[in-house]
Amino acid sequence: MSVALSRCLCRVLSRQTAPSSFLLGEHHHAVQSPWFAPVRTLKTSAPLRAEPKKKKKVDPRREQTLKERMRKKLKKLEKVAPEFIPIEDLITPAKYLDETRKRSAPRLSFEESEGRALLLKEWCRYKQEQHMAEVQAVELSLEAQREALEELKLESEELYQAALKPDPLLFPFTHDGPVYTPPKSKYEAPDGKYNNITKVYTQ
Amino acid sequence: MAAPCRRMASRSLLQFLSCFSRTAVGNVGFRQFSSTSVCRATLMTQSVTERARSPWTLMAAVCLQRFPVISADCTPIEQQFRQMMRQMELEKSLLSDHELRLLEDAERMSRKQADDYDSDQDGDLGDQEIVLAQDLEDSWEQKLKSFQPTPRVTADADEDLTSLERCLADSLFLLAEQQVGGGKLWLLPQTRWQDGETLRQTAERALPAAGLKATFLGNAPCGVYKYKLPKAARTESTVGTKVFFFKAVLSDSGPPAAPDAPLLWAKKSELQRYLKPAYMMTVDRFILSL
Repeated sequence: MSVALSRCLCRVLSRQTAPSSFLLGEHHHAVQSPWFAPVRTLKTSAPLRAEPKKKKKVDPRREQTLKERMRKKLKKLEKVAPEFIPIEDLITPAKYLDETRKRSAPRLSFEESEGRALLLKEWCRYKQEQHMAEVQAVELSLEAQREALEELKLESEELYQAALKPDPLLFPFTHDGPVYTPPKSKYEAPDGKYNNITKVYTQ
Repeated sequence: MAAPCRRMASRSLLQFLSCFSRTAVGNVGFRQFSSTSVCRATLMTQSVTERARSPWTLMAAVCLQRFPVISADCTPIEQQFRQMMRQMELEKSLLSDHELRLLEDAERMSRKQADDYDSDQDGDLGDQEIVLAQDLEDSWEQKLKSFQPTPRVTADADEDLTSLERCLADSLFLLAEQQVGGGKLWLLPQTRWQDGETLRQTAERALPAAGLKATFLGNAPCGVYKYKLPKAARTESTVGTKVFFFKAVLSDSGPPAAPDAPLLWAKKSELQRYLKPAYMMTVDRFILSL
């Protein structure tokens, strides 16, 4: 018991003396060269013991001025009008201005040119008749509708009002127009692969 | 729509008053009072009583149209003009890449056949020498020939009046044979109006349920046909009938179910064979086959 106690005491004393000697040694070193202070004595080295400098006011102001300058530059850049996107269809590609592409102009006989002029006039007359017939047919059908609505009004006001209401479900109305040959039943169209080379412009 | 409404309103008012002066059946006093009333409630009751007193029975009919499936054949002048335009456009055009290639190939062939031909003079053309433009044209023609389109005109289908596949180049209109008065008549499918429904709903009912899907074009009728019953059949309440027509377009029809009444699809030119003359005159106005 006493031996254990003495051993503990010895250990404690040795522990106490070791760090003290260590510290003394360290202190000794610190006094010698402040630039090479080891990590453990950073808190106690000379320059860091003073209060830190107050940079709060100057820095935010500098940052703000920088930001404002950047914003002004951006605004100046944005004010420039954006470039127009070129319309590909209206620009004649250079390869079509080549001389070798021109056809030899055929010389038409007098009868041929006369025939063409007369055919154009006949066509004009034909189209005019077609158009007048169309317009007349549409006017007739409108008249028929007007009369129908009149008769309906004579019959009952309620039905007349219901007839005047627009139909919201009618539009959008689509119908595929006539084709040259009627559709084939059970026709499997071949797969079409294509490379899309259209140029996409961004403004 | 606003302008014609106003015109119609003023005209119908005059007709209204004139018609009442003509058909005075002892209720003149009541009608004149109702024509000057402003309150909506009285107008509503007036409309009900008017309906009850009107001597005309209302019916709604549907004019179902199937649009043409293929383009019509060109008239002789159209064919001539088309040919002329093609020629003129060809004359005014420039040579295309394919045509230039054809010309170059022909020139090269003629030079090859000449005696003093130096193959080094020709540039490095690679594929163009192996596959000539003419060969390409031939291969394209072969491909076209291997495709068989459906024939435009089938004489057999045209004869069958009940099939929808007849006369693909014209619009067809649906006719039904219905019992009217004494006997059976061919007319646009019609049915009687019932209380509580709009005329368009009546027209939708009139459509024979033979697997036909129709899109009605609006709520307004497109025409009216009114006829007075023969004097023997006239009673106090019924003088005649007014038939209102509604236009509808046939959307793709499903498998045809067996119809109750005999139906047929007729072109505008064939309608005259089946419809009565007076009816035909009214229907002719709004049936457009342009």
